[in-house]
Amino acid sequence: MLKENISLTQLEALLLNFLLGSAIVIGIGTDAKNDAWIAILIATLIGGGTILFYWFLMNRLPGKTLYELLEFCFGRKFAILLSHGYIVYFLYNSGRVIRDFGELMASALMPNTPIEIISLTICFVIGYILYLGLEVLARTSEIFTPYLFGFIFLLTIFLLVSGQIEMTRLLPVLGEGFKPILKSLFPGLLTFPFGELIVFTVIFLNVTDTKKGQKASLIGVGVASFLLIFSSILMIVTLGVDGILRSNFPLLSTAREVAIGNFIERIDAIVVFIMMLGILVKGSVFLYGALKGLEYIYKKPFRYFSIPFAMLVAFYSVLISVNFADHLQEGLKLVPYFLHLPFQFGIPAVMLVILLWKQRKGKKNKTGWNYGSNQKAKKNPGT
Amino acid sequence: MAPIRRLRKTRALKKIGEIKEGKEIVKQEPSNSLLSLKKTLSGAFGKSSDFRVIEGFINGRAGILFYLESMINPKQMIKTTSKLFASKKDAQPFNTLDEFRSFSREIFGGVRCKSLKDDESVSQAILNGSLVIVIEGLTEIVSFHMLNTEKRALAEPSTQTVIRGPKDSFIEAVSTNISLIRRRIKNPKLTFEKFTIGKDTQTSVFIGYMDGIVNEKVLKELKDRLNGIEVSAIFDSGNIEELITDKTFTFFPLALNTERPDSAAANIMDGKVAILVDGSPFALMVPAVFVNFFEISEDFYQPLYLGSFLRFIRYLSFMIALITPSVYVGVLTYHQELLPTSFLLSIIAQREGVPFPAVVEVLLMEITFEILREAGIRMPKAVGQMVSIVGALVIGQAAAEAGIISNIMIIIMAITAIANFVAPVYSFSSASRLIRFLLIISAAILGLYGVFLMLILMVAHLCSLRSFGIPYLSPLAPFILEDQKDVFIRFPYWAMNNRPKYLESEKAIKANPVASPSPPPMKGE
Repeated sequence: MLKENISLTQLEALLLNFLLGSAIVIGIGTDAKNDAWIAILIATLIGGGTILFYWFLMNRLPGKTLYELLEFCFGRKFAILLSHGYIVYFLYNSGRVIRDFGELMASALMPNTPIEIISLTICFVIGYILYLGLEVLARTSEIFTPYLFGFIFLLTIFLLVSGQIEMTRLLPVLGEGFKPILKSLFPGLLTFPFGELIVFTVIFLNVTDTKKGQKASLIGVGVASFLLIFSSILMIVTLGVDGILRSNFPLLSTAREVAIGNFIERIDAIVVFIMMLGILVKGSVFLYGALKGLEYIYKKPFRYFSIPFAMLVAFYSVLISVNFADHLQEGLKLVPYFLHLPFQFGIPAVMLVILLWKQRKGKKNKTGWNYGSNQKAKKNPGT
Repeated sequence: MAPIRRLRKTRALKKIGEIKEGKEIVKQEPSNSLLSLKKTLSGAFGKSSDFRVIEGFINGRAGILFYLESMINPKQMIKTTSKLFASKKDAQPFNTLDEFRSFSREIFGGVRCKSLKDDESVSQAILNGSLVIVIEGLTEIVSFHMLNTEKRALAEPSTQTVIRGPKDSFIEAVSTNISLIRRRIKNPKLTFEKFTIGKDTQTSVFIGYMDGIVNEKVLKELKDRLNGIEVSAIFDSGNIEELITDKTFTFFPLALNTERPDSAAANIMDGKVAILVDGSPFALMVPAVFVNFFEISEDFYQPLYLGSFLRFIRYLSFMIALITPSVYVGVLTYHQELLPTSFLLSIIAQREGVPFPAVVEVLLMEITFEILREAGIRMPKAVGQMVSIVGALVIGQAAAEAGIISNIMIIIMAITAIANFVAPVYSFSSASRLIRFLLIISAAILGLYGVFLMLILMVAHLCSLRSFGIPYLSPLAPFILEDQKDVFIRFPYWAMNNRPKYLESEKAIKANPVASPSPPPMKGE
């Protein structure tokens, strides 16, 4: 099987769209009120650290996915157990992302269309893209990324021209000290969106130039954070803190403030398009992570799973919560502690310790280095 | 005359008799035997009335000429045969093949001569417009290429017209097409290789490329695919295109076709391969990528800014042709709030008398237009007037007044139609023409969301396409910075010193980098 390659720009585009994904839909750092942008700024530094941590982890054994790393650390049997955990976690996250989008569509563009239809259609597109492969996903996001910048630029210009922006709404800076910022940082911003980069550990090996990959990922995270901070500031100066807290989809409410002359009044469609792109990439990348896990466990090309599991994600996205309030509550209170922290940081940290220990041991008695390949050689005759 | 001929004949027969008795150096081959060959060929060509056999004596030896009257150039035929049979008195009867060669060189001059071994190749040669000469006693059958080169005169291109630039175009005769390209690229590296494709039609197909520039992998792949073709008939390059492209089930053409020799030459210089099919005035260019269908050679003949601007117009009109009707349907059906109130009111007032929902209205008009378009192409020229009059009635003011459609619909359809005609390569406009209908239907079901979904599906599909291994959307995805000189805007011609990187040609650099031609120093400098 030929390896799929993605270039550095494609990796950046994927990271950018992934991080914007649902973060731009439901707004992040809202706990910090009008200092949300400071919170995101600090989170960016942590996010950069996070992705470097994942790179460090993956560079211990180059050319291996997260799942193969699990096997190296824990042995195949236990790795399969953990892999199932990761697969469900990724599928669940994908479903959450799709749910966010479904709720957005239901409240903004298509109020009379049932959310099931929205989920099914977008999941079909995701399934189709993944059926075509990771390369196609990367290229598609590469094609659409310039439009993303264009639309955000247009939105800014329109808001400026229609006179809705009041810079004083940013004041007071740090009015309540650092406490709200810390509150929004942990575990909120740390795990969502930056911690979710754990899924990229199955993509890193596809990057053509792994040496420059770290730098490119940092650039991707940096640009995404810049856009997140930018949009956060845009929301604050347009809507004010109260407006943001009242609105389910702050960026959409921001776009609705646009009114130029009597002509350009409702540009919801443009904003929904920005969001749709991010959602599509984020949902696809999560699903891809899960599919690669299935490929690892069942030793079948992931393409076979793509459409059925996309449909499963659509199913998940409808079933995970009764309504939007429930969905948000679950996402803010339960998921970060019970799912995000262990899967994003807990298991990887344990893995890193085991890896370093094993490789140090390997260095002492030279044979240990080949542990991974021995394992593979043992495994191959059976298959 | 008659007695002399009889005299010669008897003399010749006597000679043959002598040869047969054992003085002959040349060996007698059974397949070469005159009678048996005559029998086989007459059987093969059966009742064809244009198959001719002439028997006679050439320099005292019995010989037969086979040819197809309809394929041979009559003037040349008369000139050579009269010489061939009018043997001089002191003519030495030739005994060896070499002697015959030197004899025929006098008569036929530089005409392409070929030795044939078996019956199969003899009938092929006859079919290709050769005069086949068989002489008793010679081991080889010789054919002379005397194809009737009757052909259409070079005319202006009919589908890919330009304002400024060369006005000649390819014609149906492949030899002329090759010469049109050769005249533009005077370089021995320009190579044309011949393939014979079509089990029954035996069509000549030529591939032309610059040796040393073309991507060898692409060339090998192309040759493999051409050799792999197993069909009975090839009539146009369109047949070849469908047989060799990477994917048939797509709306997008994966090979560029052009009827302009200058564009073909420019593409060959970039490292592409041209495929010329005998009988087709369209050359195929492979590998072709998406952006190639928006570039025309005239971009580089026109002033810099205009060239770039027109390119932008082309991309814009592709998008307009693609999405305008579906956005109309989506907005009017689901998202009325996106329109400014006064505009919405005016549209609703116009649509008051229209009995159909927007999607039916759009489909009705689009189908009507497609019918008109097809009628416009197929109708006999004599009734052209009528179609335009009736067409104006069907999709014009009259339709709106009759209450079938709204006025805004006419405008939507008109802009879609005009934008669709902008595509420089006709086969590419079929993509926007067909996908438009998918978009209209998805807009009717899911509104603008459906349109976005469909567009994303389209882009994903485009990303998955490849033309001879080259990603179809390169140099956009994968993004190649160096190739952006010739995508959305065109750089000055002196700045184009690299070949497109996505083609991975063997020689990437076209010319040494030069700066803008600098003017003399300004006064006071």
